[in-house]
Amino acid sequence: MIGTFGNSSLIIALLLNFYLLFSYSLNFFKKKNNFQKVRYLNFLVTVFVFLAFILLLWSFAISDFSNTAVYQNSHSQKPLFYKISGSWGNHEGSMVLFILILAIFSSLFSFSGVRDNLKYLTIFFQNILILFFLIFLIFTSNPFDVIRPTPAEGLGLNPILQDPLLSIHPPFLYVGYVGFSIIFSFALAGLYLEEFTKLWSKQASLWIVIAWTFLTVGIGLGSIWAYYELGWGGFWFWDPVENASLVPWLASTALLHSNITSMKTEKFFSWTALLAILTFTTSLLGTFLVRSGILNSVHAFANDPDRGLYILAVIMIISFFAFLIFILKFPKSPMPNVLIFWSRGSFILINNCFMIFFLVVVMVGTLYPIFLDALFEKSISVGPNYYNALLAPFVIVLLWFMAHGPLLEWYKFNKQSLIKAILQISFLTLVSSIIIFFYLKDFSLLLFLGVFFSIYLIIAVIIDVFKQKIISKNLARNISHFGFGILVFSIFINAYLSKEINVPIKVGQTIKQNAIEIQFKNILKSQGKNFEEIIGNFLIKDGTRAFELSPSLRKYLQPVQVTSETSIKSTLFGDYYLAINLSEFEGDKIMIRFYHKPLMLWIWISISLIIFGGLIRIFRKQNES
Amino acid sequence: MFSKSVQNRLKLFSVVGIIVLILVLFIQIQLSKNIVYFYSPKDIKQIQNLPKDKIRLGGIVKERSLKKIENDYSFILTDRSNDITVSYKGILPSLFVEGKSAVIEGSLKDKNFFIADTILAKHDENYMPPEVANALKKNTK
Repeated sequence: MIGTFGNSSLIIALLLNFYLLFSYSLNFFKKKNNFQKVRYLNFLVTVFVFLAFILLLWSFAISDFSNTAVYQNSHSQKPLFYKISGSWGNHEGSMVLFILILAIFSSLFSFSGVRDNLKYLTIFFQNILILFFLIFLIFTSNPFDVIRPTPAEGLGLNPILQDPLLSIHPPFLYVGYVGFSIIFSFALAGLYLEEFTKLWSKQASLWIVIAWTFLTVGIGLGSIWAYYELGWGGFWFWDPVENASLVPWLASTALLHSNITSMKTEKFFSWTALLAILTFTTSLLGTFLVRSGILNSVHAFANDPDRGLYILAVIMIISFFAFLIFILKFPKSPMPNVLIFWSRGSFILINNCFMIFFLVVVMVGTLYPIFLDALFEKSISVGPNYYNALLAPFVIVLLWFMAHGPLLEWYKFNKQSLIKAILQISFLTLVSSIIIFFYLKDFSLLLFLGVFFSIYLIIAVIIDVFKQKIISKNLARNISHFGFGILVFSIFINAYLSKEINVPIKVGQTIKQNAIEIQFKNILKSQGKNFEEIIGNFLIKDGTRAFELSPSLRKYLQPVQVTSETSIKSTLFGDYYLAINLSEFEGDKIMIRFYHKPLMLWIWISISLIIFGGLIRIFRKQNES
Repeated sequence: MFSKSVQNRLKLFSVVGIIVLILVLFIQIQLSKNIVYFYSPKDIKQIQNLPKDKIRLGGIVKERSLKKIENDYSFILTDRSNDITVSYKGILPSLFVEGKSAVIEGSLKDKNFFIADTILAKHDENYMPPEVANALKKNTK
């Protein structure tokens, strides 16, 4: 019953979408400027997609197993929260969410202050995207397919996905990915109408920051989840799925900055337009990689090769036409594309080059194995060292440019003030680095450079804040840059100074390694709603600090699977991280994996600061000056 | 020979060109250093020269082959066409089960003996890495 309603609302949305495209085209060719109808149709498409989404949530909430998607991904014994979040934890549901966000952004955009012709061409392009994905949804992955006879019970959701953070991270990622669609459509409309100007940059900037902020939140939540759920002590594994979200992030970060340069200097519009297209294309590519099933990952749901091919074809068509418009309507800047080298604009563009380099590195590392497999049937994987070795040295250089860019002027160069700033910052940085390394008692060149230049950025931001007459000026940028400095600092310390202990241990036994003492106190059994649990209680001593950690093993009943739940004690200086494992060969012993991860909390704090900067920019209308 | 602006442009292009070339070279070097090839037990039987570098090996952990000798685990990895004995020092992940698929990383000692230094984690018991699934499919043909 719900299925019929759901299906109908999707089909109605598709028909309305057709009507909108038709009605706009008619207007366009008759050169009329009557957009009321398009406006209402646009809202109606959103309403019907929203209705379909609500109906799907409802089917999941009441465990309607006559629905194939519900049957395959849910179970009546699951907590309600996971039943609902399970609706986007599968291929079909996630595509409904994808289209819903496309439509919501289209509707929101109709409220923007953009001139009517430009606005409705943007909405037209956005609805072409909606068309492609609605057809894909209805014909290859319908979320309302019915099974007859109705099964009594569902197959359940992969227990590793039953986690609050993981349940909410896809919507954030999707708002990020799909949010770039409106900038993409707006860029194409701007290019087509030859209105890719200062005003375009001004009007696009808010949308860019919104999508960018959500994408950052999504990536952040995903890595927190990977940290405590996977049990390997890391937060970033250079997994293809993680890379698929990092690539659009790098592209959008470049876009965010080049757009500011275009807005301020009225130059480099072609570069900004190219980045706007690139950002959404890489978002689509990310969706394709994640959904197509060609990656070895927990995210790969779609085992049907047709789906992967269809998305690939859509990406090809969309990017082909986007680049065609870009080339035919290549935007000309009113001023020659020349900047003084020592100016803020050129430093932003240099950082753009870094972003593009990072993007190429991550893309090559992710796509090369796929190409090799497709062309020569050779399976390979690229180790994490590839990324670390290529990215770390360049990030260090990037930090220097990031520190000085905002301190320079847009149009003129003052040599004295630059030299003064370099000396001032270098001195303060050197003093703090020496203090830090004195305390760390550990040294390697790359670690030193990483620490030095991240502090360099932090100090430059602090100096910049105090130089402003009002603190709130440029607050968004300062907070995000400050956060980035702390992020790089924490990652370097964390990567170089983490410690790991792997041993079998018996109840009552105590293990000592360096300053750390682990005592296995006892073991308990408990019963959860849809799992059985064995909990180990450990007493950890590190110097004068003593506390308990209780990692556990859960055996989920539907589907049957054992997961290891980590137990983590976070402090400002570092995390103590413990996971257990059963082994039939150890008799009465349990295997433990213990990590000491310095500054882990600061990685999350710094990501929050970067996001906070984005939020300030969204809620306070204030431009870079 | 060229006008001033053409000269400047040539200079700019050559500088950018050289930087791009160097970066591509960097990527190429790091890529070749960090690539790990994947083999199935059958591939190992067929190849002439044994790979000296670190490789990945994927297949099914043969039923009743898992043993513990002092601190080392030993088990047989099979794709139903060739068996390879694996020795491993370390912790077995909880999803490592006899009769299920596994991917391990390490190096070959000879055609029948493999020393693993990592057993790669997977997310779910019934999940089969695509490489293993492909290798098994090829063999049943």
